[in-house]
Amino acid sequence: MALEVDVREAYRYLGLRGRAPDAATERAVDEALRALEGEIDPKHVARRFDLARPEDGVLEIEGLRVKSRALYRHLDGCGGVFLMAATLGIGPDRLIARAQAAGAMARAMALQAAAAAMIEALCDSVNAHLAAEAMARGRYLRPRFSPGYGDFPLSCQPGLFRLLDVQRRIGVTLTDSCMMIPTKSVTAVVGVCEKAATRPDKCAACERRDCAFRDDRKDKP
Amino acid sequence: MRRPFLERLGRERLYWDGGTGSLLQARGLRGGELPERWNLSRPDVMRDVALGYYRAGSDVVNSNTFGANRLHYPDPEALRAIVTAGVEHVAWARRAAGREGDAYISLDIGPTGRLLKPMGDLDFDDAVAIFGEVMRVGEAAGADLILIETMNDTLELKAAVLAAKEYTRLPVCATCVFDEKGKLLTGGTPESLVAMLEGLRVDGLGVNCGLGPAQLLPFVKRMLAASSLPVIVSPNAGLPRVENGKTVYDLSAGQFAGAMADVARAGAHALGGCCGTTPEYIAREIEATRGIPFAPPVRKRKTVVGSFSRVVEIGPRPVIVGERINPTGKKKLQQALRERDLDALVALGLSQEDSGAQVLDVNVGLPGIDEAEMMAAVVPKLQSVSALPLQIDSSSPEALERGLRLYNGKPLINSVSGKRESLDAVLPLAAKYGGVLIALPLDEGGIPATAEGRVAVARKIVDAAAKHGIAREDIVVDGLAMTVSADANSARVTLETLRRVRDELGLHTVLGVSNISFGLPQRESINAFFFTMALESGLSLAIINPGSAAMMAAYRAWLALSGHDPQCAGFIAAYGQQAGSLFAAGAAAPQGAAAPQAGDSLADCVRFGLVERAAQQTRARLDAGQDPMALINGALIPALDEVGKGFEAGTLFLPQLLMSADAAKAAFAVVKEALSGQPQAVRGTLILATVKGDIHDIGKNIVKVLLENYGYRVIDLGKDVAPEAVVEAAVRHSVRLVGLSALMTTTVASMEETIRQLREKCPGVKVLVGGAVLTQAYADQIGADGYAKDAMDAVRYADTVFPE
Repeated sequence: MALEVDVREAYRYLGLRGRAPDAATERAVDEALRALEGEIDPKHVARRFDLARPEDGVLEIEGLRVKSRALYRHLDGCGGVFLMAATLGIGPDRLIARAQAAGAMARAMALQAAAAAMIEALCDSVNAHLAAEAMARGRYLRPRFSPGYGDFPLSCQPGLFRLLDVQRRIGVTLTDSCMMIPTKSVTAVVGVCEKAATRPDKCAACERRDCAFRDDRKDKP
Repeated sequence: MRRPFLERLGRERLYWDGGTGSLLQARGLRGGELPERWNLSRPDVMRDVALGYYRAGSDVVNSNTFGANRLHYPDPEALRAIVTAGVEHVAWARRAAGREGDAYISLDIGPTGRLLKPMGDLDFDDAVAIFGEVMRVGEAAGADLILIETMNDTLELKAAVLAAKEYTRLPVCATCVFDEKGKLLTGGTPESLVAMLEGLRVDGLGVNCGLGPAQLLPFVKRMLAASSLPVIVSPNAGLPRVENGKTVYDLSAGQFAGAMADVARAGAHALGGCCGTTPEYIAREIEATRGIPFAPPVRKRKTVVGSFSRVVEIGPRPVIVGERINPTGKKKLQQALRERDLDALVALGLSQEDSGAQVLDVNVGLPGIDEAEMMAAVVPKLQSVSALPLQIDSSSPEALERGLRLYNGKPLINSVSGKRESLDAVLPLAAKYGGVLIALPLDEGGIPATAEGRVAVARKIVDAAAKHGIAREDIVVDGLAMTVSADANSARVTLETLRRVRDELGLHTVLGVSNISFGLPQRESINAFFFTMALESGLSLAIINPGSAAMMAAYRAWLALSGHDPQCAGFIAAYGQQAGSLFAAGAAAPQGAAAPQAGDSLADCVRFGLVERAAQQTRARLDAGQDPMALINGALIPALDEVGKGFEAGTLFLPQLLMSADAAKAAFAVVKEALSGQPQAVRGTLILATVKGDIHDIGKNIVKVLLENYGYRVIDLGKDVAPEAVVEAAVRHSVRLVGLSALMTTTVASMEETIRQLREKCPGVKVLVGGAVLTQAYADQIGADGYAKDAMDAVRYADTVFPE
């Protein structure tokens, strides 16, 4: 799958906060994207599940109980969800490790940011696909919400992995502390509802206003 | 009476079973439910599934134990009951089907779901134990063999195979998942997988899951072409798609059987099915393939080494082994080893790879360091950044074993000699872990003075190795290059040994080429000529310094002259851009590389992040007699400071800060080199670590580079570091400052615990924290002394702990 990478995302991960990059940064990101193209192995898995609300602040997806106020609010009005998992494969991790071992931190950081933009692009394309599928049934999707956002605990990862058979299908593994390897991987819950979402995208739901990576483009009132 | 499984595998076509998941889902298994629980809760269903396969004609049926391990079932008693029941249900079905006399029970072992170190966080020996305890229970419950399946990482697969060997006496087969590019998720290829598994002496190997038979066929053919062992093929029922929330596969039983007939005709030795296949699929598969003639596997007799993703065949053309990771006679490397500066070793590996090495020698033997422990640290570290096969090189059997055990692939093993002690220590290791073994033709009688004597010892080693089941093709014989300055005949004897080993023993050869010139001036000249002569005498494996222009020129010229480099393409690619003569002094830099330009100031090189020019400018200035300290204080530090202030003021960004840091680092390296031998000023020594549970360490590494540029000595403990390890290091190095990083909220808890333990054991130590989720308030809350919002902030904080 050809990824439509938004290079501004890479600049955002480099802490530019919407400012224009200088020529050297631009070149570093371009080179990183090119280097990554040969190393990524994008894969994803997604499935629709019914959503139950056994009690206030608690969600249940096919037996998986999720206690999270933030996700509960985020999925308000949704009768179902798509669970999705996507990864760029282990290639970017190796490339980043190699740059660091060679003492090229600027290159390592550019690779890191470019790969983050790439996994974002992969998720967007999976999302678009799911949105089209939902639209055909007259449904709308809410923005992605991932374990680790707000109070949506990382401890939900093993359950989510089992529901999607993530390890077998796309080769992503979890560490003891529920972090994903390959690191350029994303799991997310996408709400399915009957009304179009009114909430803005991305960082809007997050309370960390001072975050260096905050995307200010989309949450201006 | 049932014949042993191994008397049939590879001698006739055997049939495995098909999928289980879809059958269980049809009976009500929910998506997130652990299927092995059904061994206890739904024994009727599990017996019925196995019975269906035996009746369909499967010769081997797997137990429902794919994910049965302590990571999914932490209670040991429950785990034991689940595994035992899983095997017993299959045994029940075999009796019920009347197949006691001719069918087998396979203990099914799937991946742990965790990735092993160094890419992941699971310890290799923990993985061996996790697999081993399940296998032991399965053997006791009556399994006839072990099938390790659906593996997508070769290192985890190696742990599972070793577990089978260490915990049971059962035959072991292993199958992996290939994607549409013919790769495992961690990069393995059919060839690299075969090399490793043959080295580990599994009984059968192959592919399962992932794709349908037609998509797998090309990879099955590659595997058959490489493998001397039986090949097992269990594809899915085609490709999956989701229909009404359920996964379905696109091949009917008949279509599947038709495609499996192609697999059988390609020569696969055992057939089965995976996701989406049912007893009907297997019955049709058997029907469609029964009449196709069967051919047993053929021994390939190739000499192959490999990493997790790459193989190098020894023989078709000479192979370069980079010799530089070896502290003998190298002061800087010795110091790096003593300081446990693994980055220096890894950088040495990467530079040799860039120079054209195809294999890297790894020798970390040095008096005063724990060689086995160091080998265990260096091998995974190198493999996390380089895909080159390694040569595990040690005179200590213990260090050799640690390296061989953790190595991901099939390594070169350096070495065994004809001495009894060496044969007894090394041959069992080579037999257990696999690898291509370097044989030194010397024994209790010393080094034979004649080629004839050396060939005789080599023959003795080959015979001794055969007793351990080590194949001839897995031995390469060292011609033993020894300095020609001590014995005028030494080169001739060595070269004759190469020829006679090739012609009389039919084996490949290896040389540590540069040994020939010890004690002589202009060693490179002797080395390069001797290298050419050795290549012409049939040398297969050359252990050299690939950074030597003369050696690589000799190699590339020989390839071109001996018909190994069609159209001289390799030679032209290497030297087409070369300015001036290869042999003129200082002419190594290719055209187009950033050369120092008259107008460059060193400060500008740092300011603008020009890494190569910064190093060249520094060198030029030192050569012109400038004082190193004046360079540091007059140019490097002010430039760094300016960039740092720009970053803090928000006029420069992280990429520019890092480019400058990289450039300054390159300049400092040159200065350090010039100052080597003299004591160097260190502003302060501190520890950095990414806390337990956290694997994201790029931020910490950025902080490290900056601190080093500002004159700090950083003891980097790496990522996923336990609180106890931080405390231990803080005590041992009696540091005044510890920096901790964490990315996620969940790991801030282990940061807090690390701080608590530091307070207890090292009351005087300051703790600085940083990472994406941290804030000043959060840092205060967990009891840190300081919070750094970015890397410059960390430097500023360190400066307050270590005032000038």
